[in-house]
Amino acid sequence: MPSGKAGPLAPVAARAAAVCTGKTARVLSRALGRGGGTTLPGHLAERIDPGLVHGLGQAIPNGSVLVTGTNGKTTTTRILAGALRSAGLEVITNPEGSNLLPGIATALLLRTDGWGRLAVSPSAIGVFEVDEGAFRPAVAALSPRLVVITNLFRDQLDRYFEVDFVAQLWRRALQQLPATTTIVLNADDPQVAYLGEDLPAKVLYFGLDDRQWARPGLEHAADSRRCPKCGRDLLYGLSFYGHLGHYACNQCGWRRPDPRFAAWNVELQGLTGSRSRVATPAGDRTFHLPLAGLYNACNALAASAGASCLGVDMDLVQAAAQGVVGAFGRLERVRVGDKQACVLLVKNPSGFNEGLRLVLSQDGPRWLLAGLNDGGPDGRDVSWIWDVDFEMCQGRIALMAVSGRRARDLVLRLKYGGLLDPGPGPVAVASPMPLLVEEDMVRAFFAAIERTPPGETLYVLATYTAMWTLRRELVRRGYLAPFWRQARFEETAAG
Amino acid sequence: MRIVIGYLYPSVMSQYGDLGNVITIVRRCQWRGIDVEVRELEVGEAVDPGHIDLFLVGGGADTHQRLVCEDLLKVKGEGIRQAVDQGAAAFAVCAGYQLWGHHYHTATGEKLAGLGVFNAHTIHRAAQTGTRLDTIARAGSVRAVGNLVVKWGDQILVGFENHGGRTYLHSGARPLGKTLAGGGNNSEDGWEGCVYKNAIGTYLHGPALPKNPRLADHLIRAALGRHYRDVQLEPLDDTQEIVAHDRATERALARPSRGKRLWGQGVG
Repeated sequence: MPSGKAGPLAPVAARAAAVCTGKTARVLSRALGRGGGTTLPGHLAERIDPGLVHGLGQAIPNGSVLVTGTNGKTTTTRILAGALRSAGLEVITNPEGSNLLPGIATALLLRTDGWGRLAVSPSAIGVFEVDEGAFRPAVAALSPRLVVITNLFRDQLDRYFEVDFVAQLWRRALQQLPATTTIVLNADDPQVAYLGEDLPAKVLYFGLDDRQWARPGLEHAADSRRCPKCGRDLLYGLSFYGHLGHYACNQCGWRRPDPRFAAWNVELQGLTGSRSRVATPAGDRTFHLPLAGLYNACNALAASAGASCLGVDMDLVQAAAQGVVGAFGRLERVRVGDKQACVLLVKNPSGFNEGLRLVLSQDGPRWLLAGLNDGGPDGRDVSWIWDVDFEMCQGRIALMAVSGRRARDLVLRLKYGGLLDPGPGPVAVASPMPLLVEEDMVRAFFAAIERTPPGETLYVLATYTAMWTLRRELVRRGYLAPFWRQARFEETAAG
Repeated sequence: MRIVIGYLYPSVMSQYGDLGNVITIVRRCQWRGIDVEVRELEVGEAVDPGHIDLFLVGGGADTHQRLVCEDLLKVKGEGIRQAVDQGAAAFAVCAGYQLWGHHYHTATGEKLAGLGVFNAHTIHRAAQTGTRLDTIARAGSVRAVGNLVVKWGDQILVGFENHGGRTYLHSGARPLGKTLAGGGNNSEDGWEGCVYKNAIGTYLHGPALPKNPRLADHLIRAALGRHYRDVQLEPLDDTQEIVAHDRATERALARPSRGKRLWGQGVG
């Protein structure tokens, strides 16, 4: 909240008061069971001292790294932070996915002394994931030495309005960064790659060089098929997922930049992870990643490019990738009696499509629970489910449970996708999928688990607040640990 | 029976799940044994007025407006206008709606000429207020974003709106209906959408047709009406559609259309 001045308090006193308030809020928030207190403390502290993030951020001895993008920023941040920790740096980060300025403020104020001064070692560095919309103010406040941008997909249009608009905001922010800053961009995403044109800062690209995962043609969820330079159609030689691929414009000649960090020979090992060869300026390496999906292989690539820019040895990056723990709701596994649930956060059409592909990647029937809410963090507009290719589920689903406040919209999506029986008429659906509709996410989960056979897995794909509701209940019933405890465990385990 | 859908600019004007409208028309025809063909009409492809019975066009990014606008005027304009005058049906949403009016005044003050099917014009709110769109907050301050509920005859339509443009109907123009929740055309006069013959322009996306099956059938009936007389559509089992419609309407009317975010909790 950049509103208001520090008031009658002198700057030092304001900072101390802000930090003290924030820390108190943190303790209260956790004691009252109101959550992890990962944003409220920073929110309150910033109210008292609007210059807090700037003041504390500039005091970090080794500066800051910002990671933004639609998908994959949490995972990328985690691998990058892990590599820097093992390189002996003290990492200040916002691991809980609280990625607006108050989240960064909270991470910083927890490292202050009683006077509100940053109390860290000379080896400290900030590694923050930043929400797409908060990137510009975060750049202004922190003057990062390194920026990593993973990708730009259509996401929460009720908050960001248009994909192009987000790209414009990023461009303006990047233009402010000096030649001493390095910017790491995804070469496979045309709009992200184009951000690297004509910047004072140093630019470096990463990308996939693997034909075997290329698809014929772009999927409907592809967001930018147009040349960001001249507006004509881009021609895709390879297409990976969404609008990511190898492209060129035959009108103006602009094309995918050659990546310095490239992954090839990506071997996807179902839901357990992947192995890939990565070309780096320091030679080729093999990455073993315990997180599934092509998109996570890209996240590891982004993190290794970033770490390399900071001079971290590639061996350490390899180890950090291998040891990365899935973030909140990223293929998180829960044991419920003799059954298992695997929970996946979905936020946008491309993420949902990748999630479905992953779940369906190995043979056999699947038990699924899809949760759709329309709260602020989910996106109040649920129209994006019409760009998800539910049709790929045809004939593979033993149970489709739908839940959340907009469960009924999901039912329509499935019905019009030809997956449910439309009723009497000339067209019959060959094998309509067994459907369970229950708007209450917790009840839906246990009803679906009930119908999942012993030894099998229920896959849960849910939007943010739907997942949150379920997760809180699973924690309350002792199936899962609170996420902030996990995050803290990870910090201490690594540090 | 048979109809041909002209799906305009699928690659640049399909931002808000607009494909859902196409799927809905296709399915509701198939379920009744009506043959249906979808022709994708991209930039550069002309329209033969005799061949399209129903035009569907969705929302797009502001940056694509000019590209589409040029194509509408130079390549497709005459064909679409003739078809609509001959009774072809159309469902133009958001940016599609705006560009089918007389003109569109962009956020930067540029005046783009429109197709002129709808007797209306649109001004971007940022141009009206002189707002610079350089932050998310400022861009948000000039947009109408939220659930939109519209009284259409004796029916209630529900969808979602997300637009910076304010549309003003000229005298004699017929609105689609009165807004019960949300901003509609311009957040001032309480009207939403515009109707000319069998063409409907609206800010309702969501997409609108799956949850508003009466509106979908209205369009199918109008499209069939070009070739067949006294069309009677076979009733379908719309139980799921009606439940989804009612739940969405309930949610839209139960709370203010602008949501508030708690403590700035971000999303990883």
